[in-house]
Amino acid sequence: MNIRTLARKNLLRRKSRAVFTGLGIFLGIGTFVAISSITMQMEGAVRDKLDRYGANILVTPRTEQLSLGFGDIALGGTQVSHGRLTAADEQAIRSIPLGERIRLAVPWFLSAADASGKNLVWMGVRPVDLAESRPWWKVDGAEIGGKDDVILGFEAAAALDKGPGGTLESGGRTFRVAGILKPTGEKEDGMVIADIAAVRELAGVKDGVTFFEVAALCRECPIEDIVREIGAKMPGAKVSAIRSVVESRKAAVDQFRRLGLGVSAIVLGIGGLMVFVTIMGNVQERTREIGILRAVGFRRRAIRSLLFWETGWIALAASAAGALAGAGAAIAASPLFGIARGAVEWRAMALGTVLGVSLGLLGTIPPARRAAALSPTEAIRSL
Amino acid sequence: MSFITLEELEMTYGSNGTSATALRGVSVAIARGEYAVITGESGAGKSTLLCILGGLQLPTGGRITIDGVDLSTLRADALADFRGKTIGFVFQAYHLLPYLTARENVMVPMAPEKGSAAGKWARADALLASVGLAGKEERLPSQLSGGECQRVAIARALVHDPPILLADEPTGNLDSGTGDQILDLFARLHGQGKTILVVTHNRANVERGTRSIHLRDGRVDEDRFLAARPAGQAGRGIPPERRT
Ligand SMILES: Nc1ncnc2c1ncn2[C@@H]1O[C@H](COP(=O)(O)OP(=O)(O)O)[C@@H](O)[C@H]1O
Ligand SMILES: [Mg+2]
Repeated sequence: MNIRTLARKNLLRRKSRAVFTGLGIFLGIGTFVAISSITMQMEGAVRDKLDRYGANILVTPRTEQLSLGFGDIALGGTQVSHGRLTAADEQAIRSIPLGERIRLAVPWFLSAADASGKNLVWMGVRPVDLAESRPWWKVDGAEIGGKDDVILGFEAAAALDKGPGGTLESGGRTFRVAGILKPTGEKEDGMVIADIAAVRELAGVKDGVTFFEVAALCRECPIEDIVREIGAKMPGAKVSAIRSVVESRKAAVDQFRRLGLGVSAIVLGIGGLMVFVTIMGNVQERTREIGILRAVGFRRRAIRSLLFWETGWIALAASAAGALAGAGAAIAASPLFGIARGAVEWRAMALGTVLGVSLGLLGTIPPARRAAALSPTEAIRSL
Repeated sequence: MSFITLEELEMTYGSNGTSATALRGVSVAIARGEYAVITGESGAGKSTLLCILGGLQLPTGGRITIDGVDLSTLRADALADFRGKTIGFVFQAYHLLPYLTARENVMVPMAPEKGSAAGKWARADALLASVGLAGKEERLPSQLSGGECQRVAIARALVHDPPILLADEPTGNLDSGTGDQILDLFARLHGQGKTILVVTHNRANVERGTRSIHLRDGRVDEDRFLAARPAGQAGRGIPPERRT
């Protein structure tokens, strides 16, 4: 037998008291892990949602005209481009020093062209990029499967009176209407969305790009730097950050984190106080036992280490159990917070366990000091 | 110099306001191997004297020297080591740890020490056997009789083979038959050379010692040797010749 086993035996044979002592840590860590798991996942969810607002950065050619938008796109000769964007510029964008922060660089090519007798704007994009850059689009029917597939904007479909499976004539070619885009309220409602290669062919352009949409991985979002670097790489292009999206994204994520941290801090403070109070009570209640140990030759340090071992074991068990319970609670509660599929946040659990043990040991410092300072006589006489 | 020397011990409890004086100038010298029986009314200062003897508290006045060491010069940890090495305590209420078995209770004083678990275990079992508790090592105090609990406490007191055994009314909670068995155990330990100081309420137990010290109101009221002593040694104490 040594101090460690003495501590363990004490705990095992007086389980209800050990459980009570651990309760504060269990609840504190459980709440902490639950809250931080949910916060982490909300951050993720918020990030995902905000990412869907679209690209962070727009790269367009410098023109003398008004800004290039979906509505007032001046196509076919009226714009005076200082530089033309080409497919090769995608490589330039990705090769900036902060290139690894770039999640997406999607080239779009827009052109006015005939569509079964009606002059419509055709939006060309690589089919693989479409889902990534427009995840909020909902299509009735199928996605664009190849060069001969198109998706019709809701209004375009109505104007042409076409549905999925229908066909479209343009430039002597026949396109299949793969699907109809549900109304988005944006300009694309009146457009034809097709493979970028097909739109280029219709326009007779080899590798033209109307604009690039660039999305950064937005954890810390050095958007300004990315904008500057792309601008330096492409002097003929106009690079602009879509500021409001970036800022609202950051603000929302930060707010969630602050809320989570605040609540966790309060809960942990209360948990630590509970440990302190229960251990202090234990010491009071065990005055005689401590006196006996002192009488048989325990040094003060031995008394302290006995108490630290005891709370150490309790805190470890309680915070591990609390971490498990908290993770479980987070998963159970995730639908309430708009998290589609709750996941186990290992980092939160590990941090919670470490925090719980430290809290337990910290809360034991004053009682352990007090216990070690007890006069053995007083202790033994407290009959 | 005697093994244990008490010089003008004073003990006053409490600081300002209420204070109680438990010892008022106690001077006693005890030789190695003596068996002193301390008697006195309740409140006479017997327990206080024993606590000071065991290094559990320091007197507020006077001097206590054991085996040449002035206890007041020892710091807290050194005093703890002194208690562990030199003193074995036996209390009226046994003071066993209720959540430990008999064996574990005996092992408690060895807990802060290095050494194999098996070695400590064997030592505890040997001590329990020597006090007649072989076969009851796994029992909790609640599963032992009062006399058996006191035997466990005695075995615990003997773990470090201390030269001095201090017992504060060790038979106070026991019926007279069981109490006698405990005192037989002390007699045997005395025979093995231990210096024993026993506080008792029961005047009948005085006969078992080699010396009787009676306290009254914090003073030594009577101090006499019970066995035949060589002339001139009265009051100073000598090592006993008896060996079993
Ligand atoms: N811790 C203490 N605080 C105050 N007074 C005490 C304390 N311990 C003992 N006393 C007092 O000291 C006197 C002697 O007590 P004690 O040594 O226990 O006597 P005995 O053991 O002979 O009954 C008593 O008057 C008692 O009230
Ligand atoms: Mg007493």
